[in-house]
Amino acid sequence: MGNLFYCELLKLKRSKILLISFLGAMVTPVMMIVDGIKVHYTDPGKIITLEQMYDSCSLYTMLLFGLIVYVVFAAYLFSREHTEHTLKTILTIPVSKFSFIISKYVLLLIWIIVLTLISWAGISILSAAYSAFFPIAGFSVGIAAKYLGEMLFGGIMMFLTITPFVFLALWTKGLVVPVIAAAAIVMGNVALYNEALGALYPWTASCLLVKGGTAETGYPLSLVTGLIGLVSMLGFMASVIYFAKEDIK
Amino acid sequence: MSRYLIETIGLTKRFGEQLGVDNLELHVPQGKIYGLLGRNGAGKTTTMRMLLDLVKPTSGRIFLFGNDYKEQREKTYRKIGSIVETPGFYGNLTGGENLRILARLRGQHRKDSIDHALKVVGLDTEPKKVFANYSLGMKQRLGIAAAIMHEPELLILDEPINGLDPIGIHEIRNFLLTLSREKGTTIFLSSHVLSEIEQLADVIGVMHEGHLIEEADMAELHRRNRRYVEFVVSNENTAALLLEKHFGTEDYTVCENKTLRLYECLDKRGEINRCFVENGLLVTKVNVSEEKLEDYFAGLIGGGSIG
Repeated sequence: MGNLFYCELLKLKRSKILLISFLGAMVTPVMMIVDGIKVHYTDPGKIITLEQMYDSCSLYTMLLFGLIVYVVFAAYLFSREHTEHTLKTILTIPVSKFSFIISKYVLLLIWIIVLTLISWAGISILSAAYSAFFPIAGFSVGIAAKYLGEMLFGGIMMFLTITPFVFLALWTKGLVVPVIAAAAIVMGNVALYNEALGALYPWTASCLLVKGGTAETGYPLSLVTGLIGLVSMLGFMASVIYFAKEDIK
Repeated sequence: MSRYLIETIGLTKRFGEQLGVDNLELHVPQGKIYGLLGRNGAGKTTTMRMLLDLVKPTSGRIFLFGNDYKEQREKTYRKIGSIVETPGFYGNLTGGENLRILARLRGQHRKDSIDHALKVVGLDTEPKKVFANYSLGMKQRLGIAAAIMHEPELLILDEPINGLDPIGIHEIRNFLLTLSREKGTTIFLSSHVLSEIEQLADVIGVMHEGHLIEEADMAELHRRNRRYVEFVVSNENTAALLLEKHFGTEDYTVCENKTLRLYECLDKRGEINRCFVENGLLVTKVNVSEEKLEDYFAGLIGGGSIG
């Protein structure tokens, strides 16, 4: 497994997806700062807090742009072996299909954590830069540390709910279908985040769980976490079983 | 242990309603070069994919090194090097980096094995070039380097000379011959180019529409390819009737341009010539010849060309 993971890292050398996903992780922090500047000029009396910056960044990463970025990376990671015809080279070494797919899942988890850290660091640095020119309240290390924990928890929840997109990437052997599906899921997030039904929609429910909003929906926590776990497990099992049974063309 | 490094029993692969490979009985002897010949779509690549456990057979059994291919899978496949159609590597990595991935996954940590493999196939001169910028020939060479870098006992090569220039073909052919003759490596290769198989193989198998229709020693095939005497006469139909009437033979073929090929009674060609002349035929050519292997295979698979 160690060798497989090392090789997964080596495969990313010179890969443009690293830069693309880094830039993707920075989109939400940059948009938050742009929004802060806009608020400063349109509503000068309103003081923005650091907590608001982190909260919005965490929310939009989980519900909107982060999901798209992570799905793009996941789809690339799992479908490139098909598009570059490398499975016949790797699997005949031989490498167990199960170990192979698990190593990719491990890399996906680690890269999601790295991108989450980049988003967190991005909003921290940009907020500090913002404070040099515009007023920002509640600037403290404690707030930054609190949201570091929340965003990392959010990253792990997003990893868990991304497994169905991995199956789509393996099944369709490309990026297009998973990304379209992710866009559809994002639309669902937008529609359901302020609704009680959001607790039954695993991608929105993950965000509610991270932000402690499940109680307000009226649904029991066990049902919410059970649905998230079910979707995660179904996606994982489907991807592993499909990959194990598939003939390599 | 079986004397065959690859043996299949009733190997069959269906793709839905379509039969890709039907009841294949392959026998690849140890230390020999086995050439699998057939037209495009004959089932060669599917066969190789099944041998490499990339495609699951619908039915039948595969034995590698005398054991069922599912037993001791890791140990068995570590002794095999392979290329299936166009080699697949990571486009953003150099040839050396691609080979390093394979070596690492094999647990092969000697760096010189990568350098040696690259040198053997002539890819050591451009170490910084990434795979995506390789020419088709360079990609094929890297595929060969990957197949041989761990010094396998068995090489399974699907169309290994695809994309190589004439000098590259010559080099790789000599390299494969050296591997087989000096190191005793068993090589199972496929091609739709008869001349390639003819120059390399000790044993030949011919596939057509999923069936193995011939499996024979190359020396035996050459011996079996029959000699014949060819007559060019003024009327080939009259000549045929005379052959049947006076020499009691039907083992002849009537070809184009008033040509008749007789496969027996070769030592009686003088008498046959006299018989033709005495019966008013003009004989313009009498020639003893050998049927070309190409004609033989074209006859086997029922077409004018192999490709």
